[in-house]
Amino acid sequence: MVAAGSRCAHDAVKITSGRNERTNLPSSQTPLPGSCAVDPTSVRPALDDAEVERVERGDLRARLIALRQAGASMLLDLGAVDYLERVPRFDVVYHLLFLPVSGAKIADVACPRRMRILVGISADDAMLPSVVDLWPNADWAEREVFDLFGIRFEGHPNLTRIQMPADWEGHPLRKDYPVRGFVGEATPRPSFASKSNVPAGTPPSGRVAEALREQVSRATEKSS
Amino acid sequence: MEMIPGRQFFLARLDEVARWAQSSSVWPLTMGLACCAIEMMSVQAPQYDIARLGSEVFRASPRQADLMIVSGRVSRKMAPIIKRLYDQMADPKWVISMGACASSGGVFDNYAIVQGVDTVIPVDVYVPGCPPTPDGLLYAVNLIQQQIRAGGSGGLAVRA
Amino acid sequence: MTTRVTADHLPPLPDDVSYDVIDRGPNTMTLSIGPQHPSTHGVLQVVVEISGEIVTKAEMEIGYLHTGIEKTAENLFWTQAATVIERMDYLAPVSNALCYLLAVEKLLGVTEKIPERAQHVRVLLVELTRIASHCVWLGTHGIDLGAITAFWYAFDIREKILDLMELSGGARMHPNYLRIGGLASDLPDGFLEKLDAFLASTPERLRDLRVLLQNNPIWRDRTIDVGILSAEDALAWGITGPSLRACGIAYDVRRAYPYSGYERYEFDVPVRAEGDAYARFLVRLDEMDESLRIVRQIRRDLQPGPIVIADPKIVPPPKETIAISMEALIHHFKIMSEGFRVPPGDVYQAVESPRGELGYYIVSNGDNRPYRVRTRPPSLYNLQVLKKIALGNLISDMVVTIGSLDPVFGEVDR
Repeated sequence: MVAAGSRCAHDAVKITSGRNERTNLPSSQTPLPGSCAVDPTSVRPALDDAEVERVERGDLRARLIALRQAGASMLLDLGAVDYLERVPRFDVVYHLLFLPVSGAKIADVACPRRMRILVGISADDAMLPSVVDLWPNADWAEREVFDLFGIRFEGHPNLTRIQMPADWEGHPLRKDYPVRGFVGEATPRPSFASKSNVPAGTPPSGRVAEALREQVSRATEKSS
Repeated sequence: MEMIPGRQFFLARLDEVARWAQSSSVWPLTMGLACCAIEMMSVQAPQYDIARLGSEVFRASPRQADLMIVSGRVSRKMAPIIKRLYDQMADPKWVISMGACASSGGVFDNYAIVQGVDTVIPVDVYVPGCPPTPDGLLYAVNLIQQQIRAGGSGGLAVRA
Repeated sequence: MTTRVTADHLPPLPDDVSYDVIDRGPNTMTLSIGPQHPSTHGVLQVVVEISGEIVTKAEMEIGYLHTGIEKTAENLFWTQAATVIERMDYLAPVSNALCYLLAVEKLLGVTEKIPERAQHVRVLLVELTRIASHCVWLGTHGIDLGAITAFWYAFDIREKILDLMELSGGARMHPNYLRIGGLASDLPDGFLEKLDAFLASTPERLRDLRVLLQNNPIWRDRTIDVGILSAEDALAWGITGPSLRACGIAYDVRRAYPYSGYERYEFDVPVRAEGDAYARFLVRLDEMDESLRIVRQIRRDLQPGPIVIADPKIVPPPKETIAISMEALIHHFKIMSEGFRVPPGDVYQAVESPRGELGYYIVSNGDNRPYRVRTRPPSLYNLQVLKKIALGNLISDMVVTIGSLDPVFGEVDR
């Protein structure tokens, strides 16, 4: 999406660097041996941040409708995680908050119940039912998950890209999408040398060294 | 510019007067993108006060602005809009690339951020910082004023 | 005061029934506002269909500031990721940092061990940031409505806070002073004196700011009954923060799930029932006073002590010990070159940012980098409701509504 006139010779430069070509990590930060390739959500220590429940895709809508009727008045957030080496590959996470409509005082609202629903879906069938009719704010959240992960939501009124430009290809937050983008698409690196009026390779003018010497001599004069 | 002794008028070249007028009333465009935009607002605020340098108002319309201060990270989606705004500005116009993100992509070396707004529009002054202090931006405006006064290819259109 | 469009070409209705204003009459104009616009509070594009001055449809296009912060954070060490995460909500950077750090500390299991002085200073900076953020909100909201004096007053208060930030962390806006385990360094000399001077002078300035606008007839005319949000709608659309508390629901994360020692402080949570822009304005003004109250309590309770947990595997040892202790040198080297590992697991941590419930859902797979940092951005959901509440109102009311919802696009787009 960069204006055509600004392309420069850097296009030919391969943007990837580092040993791990697939994820395009910088070379100093390749994964440490022993990082767990299994599901981190199953290994979690006992943290009481929410009630966590994992549901299957088929039961998801029924479960969410039941929770909505049980008082889950707010869908706090809808996000996704890409566990590249796990089957199923993606996790879509729904954060729910049970806030009473009549909670006009702090005491009424004290410590509302929180829930976290996790759904695992695979990459070749990345489709989930939309919950826009249950909580209208799922609209943009589902669009963002579609945009950045490629997971579709059935029943969504307008499932289009929201963060990336409309004609972008690929889903950036997937783990196999390089952080710097693909070579053909990456924006050219700025070349400051070609923009300045000092050609590359010009030896230092000596003015900085001279100014420093002058500063030092003035300081020694003052102290002596 | 010299004053005729005993009389009440100056003798000067037209382009000097024009450049003096231009440099004393550089009106920026409100091109606030991210964190640097908040520091740009601080520059307009009483403590740093860019109005004393002549930037009395920040114009929202590019047709009425001389200076585009690209303040903040330029995303790939926003880049064509910046180019269009730059094209809409009338000559002579100047560009300050404020902050690390606008100058070179900053801390965000990734798929989403243009690595330097100078890949999209020509820049006159780069201001380092994340975000730069308002003093840095004031110095940048001073440098723009010096560039204006130093002149270009002569005449009113100082930018090539 | 809202104006209803009369639809003369439609059959008449009985008195107690009215047409919904959403009609595509033959005389609508499509207007694209933004993404470069002084009143959109950032890079927002609103494509409105207006019939005269009434908005019949408002579609928003976001993503103009999408920075890929979450993706970038996956490739940085746990400590480094805090720097890019701080740049999401750029009006309240310390809030972002605190939320992320609390989440990581939960995964590490060191939440109980954070020293008291570190907790006090963290809350101090977060509350100062809240005042600073509300100052920017009020200044820009005032400019949208033509009350430019509010901008000068508000930013003057903000400058004092940024001076304190600069003194603590070295930078005005993104000090990166809060670190995993506590703070980066202790408060420098002169900070407490400057804080005292701030506490002495600011109540009067906040009062000046309030007096400028609160009973100003033009301000009241333009914000009362504008952008009305009912409590049911607010819950259904995921609104949190001052916008929710202005609809009558007293949900504040600092009270509902206290973190970082908030249960120690005495402060009220302002709640209003009207749900319009004026109510949100009053709630935020009152919140500034409450934040000042918390800051005063911290100033009273602050005691000298350690500012960071004493675990050399996570927190680099003090620089002085590196020259004399081999273990300290090795720990320092390992942390700087390789980072530290966080046990695998996932956690959701929420804080009350000036915009609402800011949450981070962080997944660690045992590596030295975050595996996934999913942000729960309050501004994304606060802004989305504009699709609904702008309808049927004047286009100038839409500007007031956007301002009163206080979106920050670094957070909306990330």
